Amino acid sequence: MPVVKLNKKRLENLVDENIDTILENIPMLGADIEREKREEVDIEFFPNRPDLFSAEGIARAMRGFLDKETGLSNYHINDSNTTLKVKDSVKSVRPNISAAVIRDLSLSEEDINSLVNLQEHLHWGLGRDRKKVSIGLHDLKKIEQPFTYKAVDPTRIEFKPLGHEQKMNLNEILNKHKKGQKFGDIIKDKKKYPIIQDKNKEILSFPPIINGVLTEVDTDTNEIFIDVTGTDKKAVNEALNIIATSLAEIGGEIHSVKRDNKKEKTPNLEPRVKKLDNQEVKELTGLDISERETIDCLRRMRYGAKSSEEGVYVEIPAYRSDILHKWDLIEDVAIGYGYDNIEPQIPNVQGIGNTHPIEKLGDKAREIMTGLGYREVMTLTLTNREKEYDKVNRKVNDSVSIKNPISEEHTIFRATLLPSLLPILEINQHRDLPQKIFEFGEVEHLTKKFAKDCYHLSGVSLHADAGFTEVKSIIEAIFCEFGIDYGLKNSDDKLFLEGRRGEIIFEKEKIGVFGEISPDVLKRFDLEHPCVGFEIEIEKLIR
Amino acid sequence: MALRTHEIEVLKKLREIKKATPKKLAKKTNYSKEGVLAASQSLSEKGLVNVSEEIEKKYVIQEEGKKLIKKGFPEQKVLKEVKKGNKNISKLQTKLGKEKVSIGIGWIKRKNLGEIKTGKIELTDKGKEFDIEQTDQYRLLNLLEQKPRKPEEIKNKLKNIEAIKELKNRNNAIDVIENKKRFLEITKKGKNTKLGQKERITELTSKDIRTGRWKKKELIDYDINVSAKKKFPGKKHPYQKLLDEMREIFQNMGFKEIKGNSVESSFWNFDALFQPQDHPAREMQDTFYISEPNKAELPTSELVNKIKNIHEKGGEVESEGWGGAWSEEKAKKVVLRTHTTATTIRYLSENNKPPEKVFSIDRAYRRETIDATHLPQFYQLEGIVLGEEVSFNNLLGYLSTFYEKMGFEEIRFRPGYFPYTEPSVEPEVYVEELGEWVELGGAGIFRKEVTAPFDVEGKVLAWGLGIGRLAMLKLGLNDLRELFQSDIDWLRRFPSCQL
Repeated sequence: MPVVKLNKKRLENLVDENIDTILENIPMLGADIEREKREEVDIEFFPNRPDLFSAEGIARAMRGFLDKETGLSNYHINDSNTTLKVKDSVKSVRPNISAAVIRDLSLSEEDINSLVNLQEHLHWGLGRDRKKVSIGLHDLKKIEQPFTYKAVDPTRIEFKPLGHEQKMNLNEILNKHKKGQKFGDIIKDKKKYPIIQDKNKEILSFPPIINGVLTEVDTDTNEIFIDVTGTDKKAVNEALNIIATSLAEIGGEIHSVKRDNKKEKTPNLEPRVKKLDNQEVKELTGLDISERETIDCLRRMRYGAKSSEEGVYVEIPAYRSDILHKWDLIEDVAIGYGYDNIEPQIPNVQGIGNTHPIEKLGDKAREIMTGLGYREVMTLTLTNREKEYDKVNRKVNDSVSIKNPISEEHTIFRATLLPSLLPILEINQHRDLPQKIFEFGEVEHLTKKFAKDCYHLSGVSLHADAGFTEVKSIIEAIFCEFGIDYGLKNSDDKLFLEGRRGEIIFEKEKIGVFGEISPDVLKRFDLEHPCVGFEIEIEKLIR
Repeated sequence: MALRTHEIEVLKKLREIKKATPKKLAKKTNYSKEGVLAASQSLSEKGLVNVSEEIEKKYVIQEEGKKLIKKGFPEQKVLKEVKKGNKNISKLQTKLGKEKVSIGIGWIKRKNLGEIKTGKIELTDKGKEFDIEQTDQYRLLNLLEQKPRKPEEIKNKLKNIEAIKELKNRNNAIDVIENKKRFLEITKKGKNTKLGQKERITELTSKDIRTGRWKKKELIDYDINVSAKKKFPGKKHPYQKLLDEMREIFQNMGFKEIKGNSVESSFWNFDALFQPQDHPAREMQDTFYISEPNKAELPTSELVNKIKNIHEKGGEVESEGWGGAWSEEKAKKVVLRTHTTATTIRYLSENNKPPEKVFSIDRAYRRETIDATHLPQFYQLEGIVLGEEVSFNNLLGYLSTFYEKMGFEEIRFRPGYFPYTEPSVEPEVYVEELGEWVELGGAGIFRKEVTAPFDVEGKVLAWGLGIGRLAMLKLGLNDLRELFQSDIDWLRRFPSCQL
């Protein structure tokens, strides 16, 4: 989740409140203070609120939450004479673009840092690592409108990308430039790559990879051209709205950019409208709240809200595209009301408590095994083929396999339990004997069409006198306690010693094995004492 | 009173000699000193013997004393010279050394053996007859040279005890050492106790019991303080006990337990829960995808279409949906369930009429690198309440009650975010030991976009609480890995009744 770095002094100025009050209220607005330093504080926000990924956005929300400035923020949009031409060639490459111009800016180093951080967080949160949305900011003074967005042959166009002194063509950027190597996959499969150029064919940007050196923004910049490109129109516009309103929060004047072939102008900061029935607010939150209070809470959360004949008339700021449904608004009513002001109350919903049959089975198995002097262990369910099969003399079998394992240790889901118990004995070699341990837990079996959890019971006993008769008595005791008859057959499971191993048969099916564990196997776990073990597909006993 | 054989022997001996050191008793009884000490310990507990400690003083000769014996006393040397006629002090100093002469003269004056007149020593009558070997100082030094001696011993052999002081003053020619000494003394009870004549035995045999002959024998008392061999009962894993405790809390609140499958389709794990297909949690770096089996079957096309519609356009619940195109192929991808909410939504799909109260405690999987606080698998406590008229404050009610029952006193609720709930909340408890609020999972009311495709009637309160953090707190662990790579010693020693 995005962690926003905030300069405390700057935030204090933007909110017009001391930092202690701000930080005290931040968690109740829906965020987590990650760490606090003398001058900075890192705050983690939820991915659904990209409008809070900058100090400007947080300040806007916080001023409302602290009742300093409530209701909708009004941003005036001036018409600009800036035109953006969009060529059809981008349709199959990166179809969407929106742009805006911000004038009258005076940017400090801090402002620029905040802007760059916001851009990065939006690339991640809204942009899915630039795939869905990417943003470019340009010093407008260095370029001349109209601008053109088009897709071009990668080798034909050259420019100086940020971070490089030489001109490179688009292919070279993908292969040699750090950003090209990192984000190149997004467009690599296209024949043509997108660029934005100005009237004089100067290249502003090669989205979603990199901007040109030409338009780099610094503290001398007072006019910015914002381009947002991407694959999803809604997300592209939202990103533009967030950036544009953030710049307006620090004194910028928003100017629209018009499309050459359509009437369309961006940004569009018209609020969306939803009607809210106060009865529904009451029913969802459980609060006894008046319509007036609902309106106050919404305004505190920076919505426009007023009473109307069809209920509460809510204007949703253009930077809040996370609002999909009325209930999203009701959540904000509750947040505005303060989660800490809601009285928890248990309702009268009938129900009869019970335990799942598998867990009942587990309880029984644990009772029997602990009664027999075994201690329960719990092990991880992910393992690999070597540990599951090779190391215990078993032939590699089909297993539920992980496509993207995180380490070689965990590439499959275990199919049996016993191979997980031996490593526990291995790490406990220095502890007193006898060691008797068991586990009741799930393993995964492949079925004809899919895979299925199965619950097994397995135990091992390690000590100088461990032998076949010991494990045989354990098996007899378990089945005696379950009151179930079973049959026996000689086994060929090489985990155990030949002539000292058996299969357990229940309803004509093999449901378990037991015996003296082969010294070959023991040696691989550095174990030097006799050891016996068993495993039962115990779930089958309660079918 | 039944006494052990060696206790009887020690007691008998003490009846004869009344009081003795353990060493002496050991000699007289032929037991080792340790044996006598053990016997005296239990005899004293029974009030038969009194164990006391006394401090024993002894005088010992020191370096300076040995020098005096070897080289002679200075006053003796001076006197010898004076007797020869060498009375002049300065000449004596040249001959014997300044220091010796001055010490010698000091003692001569003090013992009234001579006088100084115009630089010469004139002997008194006493001085003329003086013999160093007749002095107490000389005698005492010689006695102590043989061995250290107790004060009583010395006093008998001296004219007076002045010499002890004098020798101490002579640059510590002798010194006193103090030793603690233990004595065993018979008590009145010890004198009078009858020592039985019966056969003494340690272990009862079945024959003893059957024949009743144990009555004729004397059963030897055990020392109840002696430590016995350690026993480790078979027991449940502490984590399992904690899970059972939680299970019990929900059962007592009238919840029914459900279970699901660890391997799930993306459809049930994500799509049915309105998790957008491009959500970061669905990416390869956060979720374990399964290559075998590599594809899951989707439910009926009617349901699949409803889900598709909800994702793309918001269905018929006045939602805007996520937009974009929803892909069946993505929904067929197989994952290790990333939360047990997959179990819940499957249950709801078949049980969509209120009231329902169900919970599950099972493992969920996230693609995390293993370290002290992260594991790729963790237990999740999942629960839902489906009710006609339930609301957000009721959700807070269930969560508060659960954490209170788990022993947390301070609970707070923060806004949270999950794609499938609205409103959403993150419960936190205050942990005294850490001095901070600890987040323990997420909860909320299932969105309309989640419940509508399954025609769920009423509202669904839902929570999915991670228990790893809670387990670490409750079990006092600093490392999550210890739960699954058990140190048998830890399991043996963890009190099963602590939870």
